[in-house]
Amino acid sequence: MRAAWGHPRSGALLLLLGLAAAVLLSPLIGPEPLPWKDVLSIMLHQAAGGALGSGSCLPAVPPAQCHVWTVIVWDARVPAVLLAAFVGASLGVSGASLQGVFRNPLADPYLLGLSSGAALGAAAAFALTVSPGSSLNPATRSLLLPVAAFAGGLVPGTVVLLASLSGRVGAGSLIMVGIALNALFSAIISAVLLYNQNITIQVTFWLWGGLSYATWTNDALVLSVLMVAGMLLALHGRPLNLLQLGEDVASSLGTDAPKVMRRVVLLTTILTAAAVAFVGIIGFVGLIAPHVVRRVVGVDYRRVLPLSMATGAGFLIISWDAAQIIIPTVVLPVGILTGFVGSAFFLYVLFRRWLPRGSGSSR
Amino acid sequence: MNGAPLEAEGLTLRYGERTALRGVSFQTAPRELVALAGPNGSGKSSLLRAVMGLERLTEGRIAVRGKDARTLTLQERAREVAWMPQEEPVGEDLSVEEYVRYGRSPYLGGLLPQADPDPEATDRAVVALGLEDLRGRGIRELSGGERQRVRLARVLAQGTSLLLLDEPTSHLDIGHQLDMLGRVRDLARREGRSVIVAIHDLNLAARFADRVLVLSHGQLVAEGTPEEVLSPALLRQVWGVDAELRRDSRGRVPYLIPRLPDPTPSPHPGGRPRVHVVAGGGSGLELLRRLFDRGCDLTAGVLPLFDSDSDLAEELGVPSVLELPFAPLSSESRERLRQLMSSSEIVVVAAFPVGPTNVGNLEEVERVVGARRVLLVHQDRARPWDFTGGSAARLRAQIVEKGGEEVSDVDGVLAALSGRATRASSSIGGGRSDGPRGHVSGATG
Repeated sequence: MRAAWGHPRSGALLLLLGLAAAVLLSPLIGPEPLPWKDVLSIMLHQAAGGALGSGSCLPAVPPAQCHVWTVIVWDARVPAVLLAAFVGASLGVSGASLQGVFRNPLADPYLLGLSSGAALGAAAAFALTVSPGSSLNPATRSLLLPVAAFAGGLVPGTVVLLASLSGRVGAGSLIMVGIALNALFSAIISAVLLYNQNITIQVTFWLWGGLSYATWTNDALVLSVLMVAGMLLALHGRPLNLLQLGEDVASSLGTDAPKVMRRVVLLTTILTAAAVAFVGIIGFVGLIAPHVVRRVVGVDYRRVLPLSMATGAGFLIISWDAAQIIIPTVVLPVGILTGFVGSAFFLYVLFRRWLPRGSGSSR
Repeated sequence: MNGAPLEAEGLTLRYGERTALRGVSFQTAPRELVALAGPNGSGKSSLLRAVMGLERLTEGRIAVRGKDARTLTLQERAREVAWMPQEEPVGEDLSVEEYVRYGRSPYLGGLLPQADPDPEATDRAVVALGLEDLRGRGIRELSGGERQRVRLARVLAQGTSLLLLDEPTSHLDIGHQLDMLGRVRDLARREGRSVIVAIHDLNLAARFADRVLVLSHGQLVAEGTPEEVLSPALLRQVWGVDAELRRDSRGRVPYLIPRLPDPTPSPHPGGRPRVHVVAGGGSGLELLRRLFDRGCDLTAGVLPLFDSDSDLAEELGVPSVLELPFAPLSSESRERLRQLMSSSEIVVVAAFPVGPTNVGNLEEVERVVGARRVLLVHQDRARPWDFTGGSAARLRAQIVEKGGEEVSDVDGVLAALSGRATRASSSIGGGRSDGPRGHVSGATG
């Protein structure tokens, strides 16, 4: 209850329908203009495993274009949309659960230093693969980047976890640890770039975040982490609700607050590091999705967590669509779009509370 | 399921250098409301937190209903003990019912939800605290009194045999304090729960508690019924406060009327004169009122309880020694009288009727007359005042002989005081608006 916009159930339904529509319709969009009917029939044909017709495309698709269009739709557009969905879901649920566990509306995985840790890993990988003396074979090279980014992303979360194990460290102090690590890693990245200026472009692009390298394999990897870590996180609705009453009250109600905090930090670190490893730094999703959800369905984390997944997914898909449409024939890095859209929306949400006769709730 | 709701044995809690609890042992019984009293920092909250399992004991053992608390998981413990902290974050804007339902959390499983074995518990708690009409309201919209009731309902819904309430009345007005504690006591009686309430207000504790535990510096220094425990001596020892013990006229409930700390020598010589008034039987009414209006720092006694003089002294917030009417001065009263007189500059003896029970007043005045300036209001010879067979008159004479000054009436007293003020070259007419005086009458009146 206490939702700002109408009944929570209809709001939740709206969010889910929006996501479904975004997943189905977004493959229609791309830098190459393809007829929407052909895109749909290719998707249908491929989704059915080619069982719908005898050829490699349905009869409606011009046979001459069948192969190329199928590659564009099925091997590029659809995996990119799905990757956007999985990454958005990972970031959304991570942001929601960190905001819950730290009782801080500004918490998100990046605040704990994850983004700069992953970026440092990526920078190291670029430095290794691009440097002239590099003797890595191509297969290793293509693996190195996500693995290094993933590993780098795990570092800050691990440090925060160790800090929380060391005794009675409050949520606020843990956030400060994350912020300190963030600053440290950013400084190291700058130093690395200073001495490896040949990789500046690659690192910068990586920092902007992109979905262009989506493949079915990457999708499957992100999805499998999301299935495990994301689902586990989504089960934490009730403990997170209790944590809003303070750690002591939560403990008195049978919830081991420090344990929940550690579990959430661990799961969000793995989840976000896996997502970031394949797409780079895509900002604002983890921050904004939970805020939108709370305004739609209220503050109950049992609803906020799964719906933040859906909203994060939808938000990233739409940002991806926009990244492809805004400038014809050019695909912008999607992280730039989420930054634009996210910050504008965020400011709107914040200022609406202060505008005269603002309809925003007290939150 | 046997054993006392709570058995605590030798609870000791240290944080580094600081010791919060030292060997505290006690038990509670079903249907019992136990008040946990003690000054700030005496360990009340720490004790409750330790029982709840929020603090790791340095030493000692806690058993709830016969089960060693160390063997219980957090969730099992939450089914035995419920805790209401003094403060908690208001949190998200939940409805009253949603918030109260949080009390059921210990029964709902960990990550995977379980069915509540007692689905009616939330409703019962809402009804028990009269919150039916507030069910759908947001907890942030509630008044302070309503919010405390909602918090209590949450704790109640937890369905434990032991409730720990930390200062449940601290932010409430007197009406809501009585309402809150009345409800708590009824719940204990009606539902057979054992309740421990940490509370600052001793008079509230005495009125509602079956038993009072007093903590001082982490140690249990007194334990028993309010009648057994509350005493001026305990108050002085533990809180460093002087107080009178009275009993509620309707029952045996004791209550304490605190006094201001003993007047200490004024840092400014010639400041407000410190005057002690010996009176009784209405003889001190005009005297007290006018000295008060002149801004004197007053003490009084020994006054008979329920006497018009003692009523006025209380109304004005004048620290007084009181004695039961028609009872001889106890040695304790005499001791107090000596203290008050020795900390005042001037002792004024009103024209009061003296009998065998209060002649001790004059005896005490006679002992200080050299060391303190003593003013005696003239006794009207037309009215009999000496009912002691002459010893009162003899004492008066001795006082005058040793330097006591006789004055004709209250005007004479004030005139004599003005002389003092002139000598000290300072005004005594500061009036009662100058700070502490007004505060005192407000506090006690």
